[in-house]
Amino acid sequence: MFRRTGTSRKGTAGPGRSTSSEALRLVSVTKTYGSSDENAVTALDRVSLGLRAGTFTAVMGPSGSGKSTLLQCAAGLDRPDRGVVRVDGEEMTGGTEAALTKFRRQRIGFVFQQYNLLPTLTVEQNTTLPLKLAGRRIDRNRAREILAQVGLGDRLGHRPDELSGGQRQRVAIARALVTEPSVIFADEPTGALDTRSAREVLRLLRETVRVHGRTVVMVTHDPVAASYADSVVFLADGRLAGELHAPTVDAVAERMAHLGDSADADASGYDAPLGV
Amino acid sequence: MFSLAMRSIRLRPGRFVATLLSAFLGATIIMTFNSMHDTAGGAGVDTVSSDTLTTSASVVGGYGTLLVFFAVASTLTVNVRQRHEEITLLRNTGATPAQIRRMVVGEASVVGLVASVLAVGPAMLAGRALLSVFRDSGQVAERVDYAFGPVALMSGLSIMLLACAGAAFLAVRRATRAVATGEREPRTRLRGFFAYGALVAGAGAVSATFAMDATEPALMAAPAYGAILLSVGFALLSPRLLSGVLGVLERPLGALAGASGYLTVHNMRQRAAQLAGVLMPLVLFTGMATATLYMQAIENDAIKASGVAKSVDDKNLETLNLVVVGIIVVFACVMLINSLYAATSYRSREFGQQRLAGATPAQVLGMVGVEGLVLTLTGVFFGTLSGLAGIVAFSSVRVDEALPLGSGSGPGQGQGLGIWLGVVSIAAAATLVTSLGTARRGLRTPAVEAVALAA
Ligand SMILES: Nc1ncnc2c1ncn2[C@@H]1O[C@H](COP(=O)(O)OP(=O)(O)O)[C@@H](O)[C@H]1O
Ligand SMILES: [Mg+2]
Repeated sequence: MFRRTGTSRKGTAGPGRSTSSEALRLVSVTKTYGSSDENAVTALDRVSLGLRAGTFTAVMGPSGSGKSTLLQCAAGLDRPDRGVVRVDGEEMTGGTEAALTKFRRQRIGFVFQQYNLLPTLTVEQNTTLPLKLAGRRIDRNRAREILAQVGLGDRLGHRPDELSGGQRQRVAIARALVTEPSVIFADEPTGALDTRSAREVLRLLRETVRVHGRTVVMVTHDPVAASYADSVVFLADGRLAGELHAPTVDAVAERMAHLGDSADADASGYDAPLGV
Repeated sequence: MFSLAMRSIRLRPGRFVATLLSAFLGATIIMTFNSMHDTAGGAGVDTVSSDTLTTSASVVGGYGTLLVFFAVASTLTVNVRQRHEEITLLRNTGATPAQIRRMVVGEASVVGLVASVLAVGPAMLAGRALLSVFRDSGQVAERVDYAFGPVALMSGLSIMLLACAGAAFLAVRRATRAVATGEREPRTRLRGFFAYGALVAGAGAVSATFAMDATEPALMAAPAYGAILLSVGFALLSPRLLSGVLGVLERPLGALAGASGYLTVHNMRQRAAQLAGVLMPLVLFTGMATATLYMQAIENDAIKASGVAKSVDDKNLETLNLVVVGIIVVFACVMLINSLYAATSYRSREFGQQRLAGATPAQVLGMVGVEGLVLTLTGVFFGTLSGLAGIVAFSSVRVDEALPLGSGSGPGQGQGLGIWLGVVSIAAAATLVTSLGTARRGLRTPAVEAVALAA
């Protein structure tokens, strides 16, 4: 299942990019919400994780286990309280939002469950917006090529509200691809889609890895979606709770069922060690 | 539906602050001036005093009512638009458009009622103060006593209720129709009709000035009303004007302001109809304030040049003009700040999306700033145009000089650009401070949270 795609990667990687085989590294990342002791929630508890370039990883876990927090900390959309995030070997340091934004522009793409396209811009304008904001040259042909690949070559002038959910999500994927980031994060990208559109989006994400050589990290609660990935990382109560390589739908579903058990046990006061 | 209305006021009082404030100010003004009717009706008031009192009550009462309606309509339109989501939800759970209309009209009536009651005390104080101004300037006899009676109370209550309920009815009817058909406002044609009507009437009023005599006491009325009507006409046309201005500015903005300029042009193009709510008070404010203040200054200089002392009528007129400008300034600022605040805070989701797409907070603020500049420029341009029409007409007839900007040669020392610059700075400051301040506050919310909030 682990197909190495380093060679098929288009020769556009910047200096110091393709030399690192590790696309993402988290070291002991911790994130707590709420200030007072009573309502403090430890969303992430010393999570360490390394993902090789050109892999497709799914993150799974019960609701509230910290999946979104993990993705946002890794993607520079949120700041961890402690720990280190490294993308493409570069440590993410950013005191200000502007610094984090500039870091993200270079290396990170993000796909949201709710698309987050700008309603006043057309499909093509939405796709090229990250380049425009970064002050980078806009290669219109390249953008159109990407939009054609996601199946929207004939929708360039449409606005998001004229598209179906699946089409909007494909625009979001095109927008994430256009800056040629090393890692693309997707938080429940198929959560709002019907089965058919969901399959198309998953195939696209897998292609992003296979054809474009990107690294994709996807949060999902759907075992079918997770089975598209090369491996699955499980999360429970803000901690890593195991990993599954070459996942099948059944194997994922079974592991998830047990995770639910242990999370319940945790919640009722037992500190059940996870047999990973 | 009425209990729903009461509950929604109690749970979200913040939403009604702007409406309450403009209704309160409006009720205060209406009652203050209408109490002059009560005062004039007191025992033993001589005819000169009575004339002064009833004239001021009628003139400013008239202006005031118009402005109150405008201001309340503007704040309620914003209020209803902010609640689009809630209204859709109610419809989806089975509320008929008539029920929703009753709810919104009921809320607005309660707000109008509360505002009128709150305004009674301040209106009494302001009425006393106004009467003493009239007494001090000798326009009203010393022994006239202040009275706050049925005319003030009833006119205040009925005008406010009518304005609030009427404005709410119009706003919600537009909103429920738009939801039902999924279309844009179908009233643009009617609005266009009123707009061109106001422009033609304004041009007529301005031209009528030329048929008058230089010493006519009511000379100022025609060009002043002309300027106001022209401002109203331009204000009603503002969505179209904005599109025109954007067409001209598109390239330079894109080139000069980079990504911020690019986003500005696209956003403003799409949201021209909403931004009209901001442009309207800007045009009204600039046009009315410029016209009234310059005409009064020209008049003052003309009287000074003629060497005679100001008559009671002259003083009356000056007091009234300054009061009118004061009212306009306050109302226009409330309208401007309210619609701009609502328009900007409503967009924290959109700002969040831009940030997620790679915009730095500075770029978002840049975009908001450029938008504010374009709005100010457009509003000031058309406001100045209408004000200028009235000023030129008045000045030509009064002092035989089209534009007494003067290098010091004309009668008096000329007016200079001082007043205009003052008016423009207030307009620009209100626009930029409100929009940038609101946007800044919105940027404090992390982008991911901002997009997750229900708009
Ligand atoms: N902004 C926030 N403020 C307070 N608590 C939060 C916030 N975001 C997430 N949490 C809490 O952190 C935990 C993890 O949340 P999240 O990462 O969204 O979980 P998941 O995506 O796995 O459902 C949950 O208990 C959640 O309530
Ligand atoms: Mg989540």
